[in-house]
Amino acid sequence: MNEEPRIGVYICHCGVNIAGSVNIKEVVEYAKNLPNVIEARDYIFMCSAPGQEIIKEGIKKCNLNRVVVAACSPTMHEHTFRNVLAEAGINPYLLEMVNIREQCSWVHSDNKEAATTKAKLLIRMAVAKASLLEPLKEITFKVNKNVLVIGGGVAGLSAARDLAAKGFKVYLIERKPVIGGNTARLGRLAHAEIKGIDLVGELSRQVLSSPNIHIYVDTELANVDGSVGDFKIKLVKNPRYVNEKCNLCGECVKVCPVDVPNEYEFGVSSRKAIYLPFREAYPPIYVVDSENCTRCFECVKVCPMNAINLAEKTEEIELTVGAIIIAAGHEPYEPPIGEFGYGVSSRVITLFQLERMLDEAGPTKGELKLDGREPKNIVFITCVGSLNTTPNAYPYCSRMCCSSTIKNALMIREKYPEANIYILHRDIRTYSRGDEQLYLKAGESLIRFARYREAPNVIVNPDGSINVRFFEETIQEEVFLPADLVVLSVGMKPPKDIDKVRTIVKVGCGPEGFLREAHLKLRPVEAATDGVYLAGTVTGPKNVIESIESGSAAASKASTLLTKEEVRVEPLIAVVDEERCSGCSICIGVCPYGAIRLKTQEKARVAEVDPALCKGCGACAASCPTGAMQQFGFKDAQLKSQVLAALTK
Amino acid sequence: MSKDFEPRIVVFACNWCSYAALDLAGTSRMKYPPNFLVIRVMCSGRVDPQFILEAFRRGADGVLVAGCHPGDCHYIEGNIKALRRMTLLKRVLEEFGIEKERFRLEWISASEAEKFVRVANEMLEKIKPLGPLKVEEVHMHG
Amino acid sequence: MSKPVLVIGGGIAGIQASLDLADQGVKVYLVEKLPSIGGKMARLDKTFPTLDCASCILTPKMVSVARHPNIELLTYSEVVEVKGSAGDFHVKVLKKPRYVDEDKCIGCGECITKCPSKVPDEFNMGMSQRKAIYFLFPQAVPLKATIDREHCLYFTKNICRVCERFCPTKAINFEQKPETIELKVASIIIATGYELLDPRIAPTYGYGKYPNVYTSLEFERLVSSTGPTGGEIMRRSDNKHPRSIAFIQCVCSRDVKINPNCSAFCCMASVKHAILAKEHLPEVDCTIFYMDLRAFGKGYQEFYNRAMREFGIKFIRAKPAKIEEDPETKDLIITYEDTFTGAKKTMRTEMVVLAVGVKPVYPEVIPLTIGEDGYVHLKNPHIEPVATTMDGVYVVGVAAGAKDIPDSVIQAGSAAIKASILAGGVVHE
Repeated sequence: MNEEPRIGVYICHCGVNIAGSVNIKEVVEYAKNLPNVIEARDYIFMCSAPGQEIIKEGIKKCNLNRVVVAACSPTMHEHTFRNVLAEAGINPYLLEMVNIREQCSWVHSDNKEAATTKAKLLIRMAVAKASLLEPLKEITFKVNKNVLVIGGGVAGLSAARDLAAKGFKVYLIERKPVIGGNTARLGRLAHAEIKGIDLVGELSRQVLSSPNIHIYVDTELANVDGSVGDFKIKLVKNPRYVNEKCNLCGECVKVCPVDVPNEYEFGVSSRKAIYLPFREAYPPIYVVDSENCTRCFECVKVCPMNAINLAEKTEEIELTVGAIIIAAGHEPYEPPIGEFGYGVSSRVITLFQLERMLDEAGPTKGELKLDGREPKNIVFITCVGSLNTTPNAYPYCSRMCCSSTIKNALMIREKYPEANIYILHRDIRTYSRGDEQLYLKAGESLIRFARYREAPNVIVNPDGSINVRFFEETIQEEVFLPADLVVLSVGMKPPKDIDKVRTIVKVGCGPEGFLREAHLKLRPVEAATDGVYLAGTVTGPKNVIESIESGSAAASKASTLLTKEEVRVEPLIAVVDEERCSGCSICIGVCPYGAIRLKTQEKARVAEVDPALCKGCGACAASCPTGAMQQFGFKDAQLKSQVLAALTK
Repeated sequence: MSKDFEPRIVVFACNWCSYAALDLAGTSRMKYPPNFLVIRVMCSGRVDPQFILEAFRRGADGVLVAGCHPGDCHYIEGNIKALRRMTLLKRVLEEFGIEKERFRLEWISASEAEKFVRVANEMLEKIKPLGPLKVEEVHMHG
Repeated sequence: MSKPVLVIGGGIAGIQASLDLADQGVKVYLVEKLPSIGGKMARLDKTFPTLDCASCILTPKMVSVARHPNIELLTYSEVVEVKGSAGDFHVKVLKKPRYVDEDKCIGCGECITKCPSKVPDEFNMGMSQRKAIYFLFPQAVPLKATIDREHCLYFTKNICRVCERFCPTKAINFEQKPETIELKVASIIIATGYELLDPRIAPTYGYGKYPNVYTSLEFERLVSSTGPTGGEIMRRSDNKHPRSIAFIQCVCSRDVKINPNCSAFCCMASVKHAILAKEHLPEVDCTIFYMDLRAFGKGYQEFYNRAMREFGIKFIRAKPAKIEEDPETKDLIITYEDTFTGAKKTMRTEMVVLAVGVKPVYPEVIPLTIGEDGYVHLKNPHIEPVATTMDGVYVVGVAAGAKDIPDSVIQAGSAAIKASILAGGVVHE
């Protein structure tokens, strides 16, 4: 672009967010005198409709060809203002954002003079760069209409169901041998007459009835290449050692010599090395747990269907999809041995173990008997693993445990009207619709609530009896409770393998490992990476209904992408100045995506960038010895102009 | 050394982690000294050592390059490339007589706003006693 | 081709549902009864737990709604009739007269400057004044003036017509009539939100009687830079900065006599208010009276911890019995039972903010089944979370149960995909 730069600078007050710390008037005056600046204006909210009009008006009236907006972080509104430029008829990439809110007014509100000076410098840097900006053309990709859903819990099932109903082809992968996730292991759900397994059953039926859904169990994500609209997926399907000929006769189980705790019953019961995770499991095929299998081949010998093959190998599967939904769920917090007596006494159990025991179809047939006797004194302790209750605990609230605790306490009350039931808590957080009523009902049902601040002390006596001692905050007294059963209301934590999945898909996470949303408030089911969506507890604790809703919401967002024929991506990719390129090939070795190759041009060999493969990291540009390799939007000259402007006294 | 010496420090921050951490410092209303001027790049791997030399030549009192932690790079290992280049650059800076306190490469993830604040405070504390960089004494070429 | 969908209510839930649908290629009619979309979120100053400014994240979405080729925005309109069934609803919408031609009005505000008639501004909870011709708020979408017939001097006294004279585009039209628009839609999403309960039904707290007792939404406007005081926290009685503020939780909520429901967002809203008060007035003393501090969402507990540790906000677990006013200073005296000692205690404070419970608002013409808790009955919340008992009718946001912004946004998305499936449309192989 050879025309003289004509820059408009628009400075946002952001209410008092910026104007409270930065002297806007002074900054506007300063901006007016910067090189190439034709006009500088301010407004209370530049992102609002009237604010956007001011910019458009400026572009038209002053015949501007570059725009600098000094407001919030570009992650917030670069997109908004690019659209404004496009609507005003100039190339959207002739915009430079200045972050005078997150990186200026908010962090320097204690020093208004310094904040004002810094805002000026930041604007000067942006104006310098803006003078060197070039119009860019967006790259378009065709959108593949398939979608990958990672995780077969209720969130993943909900997302898969909705996308299939909308007509997209869905690949649902689950690393466990069975779909249903954590919900399948829950007993009766709060406010519902159905059990977790029935809900999973219903969702599975809906999912399985669609010809658009392909389910891969025992399958993990191995690699993702490509980008939004066109992801190349590699999956690894681990051997199950039992094929679909299995008729669930159970002969194999009878002969299997191995006995291990059943993780699907949270260890309340045991299972064999060949097993069906639970009744009504999908797929209805036995599975061999290769870690514990002794390779005695007894099962192989007795199987009437010849369905077992212990020599089965892992299998690689390749797919192409346009979008990815991560619904990898959570794991319950597992208290370390000794925390609240867990693992020391069999009378200390987790809420999930209790759920299994209270389930009529569970290992104890719904009976809560310990050494053959019904428990008389039951003490629930909430916030185990949450709110920093113990040194091992997480800082956050797990959201569903309060209601879940009360629901279970009420179920015990129904079964054992004479039992003394205590719930020791820090705050009862029954926030969700109908949960407060559950809390009221618990009070009416003589379930006693006591408040602690310091973690209660669970004392396991030599005779096996248990006492719980804690300081009750309301009555300000030390309380000493005998307990036949202590139930630890454990919270949620991110699933074990989530780091592997998120590094493959390139999604960030928070300090505890839950995945990070593109925006916590308004983009809760989108990842910052285009074409990747997040559903269920993988972003943080949620109850069952909320997880299903977020699955649908993620499906909705994915559908907004998949209904498009093509997607546009930022053209901030590498570009070669063929005149300067010496064909040294250093850039080829540096590029992580294999996006650069040599081509012969008028007898000389020069580098060439494949725009479909280049992701725009700029590593090649940084390594180019001649300066021939550059990155659009981040050219050497543009970045150096910022350095220079920052340092001019 | 003048007490009024306010160093000007140029920061190259990668878009995905460190720039986000700087934003988080803002949304969390943390406070750090106003001496840091941020230049956004998509990846720390984009930072050409020439930019840093240029910054010192133009009178920067310090330069900070901030990227994602190893393993977290949005572009697989751009940060590792940055690490290699910056390790070499440190030797060059030493040859030029630029004190090592004036240059840092740090891994700052999107949730580590506090780390940025700590690094900023540390850098400032160490650079202030050095006084302004005397560019005319530094003969840099390139 | 897909069939259109009707979204009722232009708050954040309705906005999000509309955008999701429109981005899926579905035609949307978004009906909002007020002259602008934005809902309650438009009145918020900041949002918890990030303290993102509400305008900054909301107004661009409002702009996207207005510009989206698939969205037909019907503001200042109400749904007056719904017939038919899922896949084929026949809907009548009444577009109330603004007395301003929307096509001609350029939103310059000249008429507003000249209008002589002042009335309490409902957007600022009556704490400031607006004119009889007005924008709901300066960033309103659409930015079209509206004449409030009840207060317009022409309509009440047959005089004035100053706006007409000064309007540069001749957009004023006193003859404008209500207009009925007929729509055929495949599905309906109800996102009609809520109203705060009137705290006067709990008279012991003195709201409406003592000037320095505020509702949470009033306080929200008071700390807002676009609010009646430009963000200055000043007492109604003397326009002075308060030196102490008490925030009282669960007013008209979690109260079996008035409303047993928990409103889900007030705890965090009050924590946010206290932090904002501290940011505006570093010396102010903030106390939150609460029953259970429900910091359940992502980052909420951490926000609550910061309020205690960094901002020194005090938390007292008690539901105050009554609030009285010192007639001389207009300070307030809160009587509460100390849960630690059981003793009756009093506390003097210069301002009180009541976190008032909410009640849902529904369009009257849709025969929804209302549950015992006052919220619409859902068909099967576990299988189809946002579906009402009427096929093809979905409910989202606070109208489906009190909730915060992210949860409203998630529900909006989940209703959007359901409605989008009903709307049909071709997906190419």
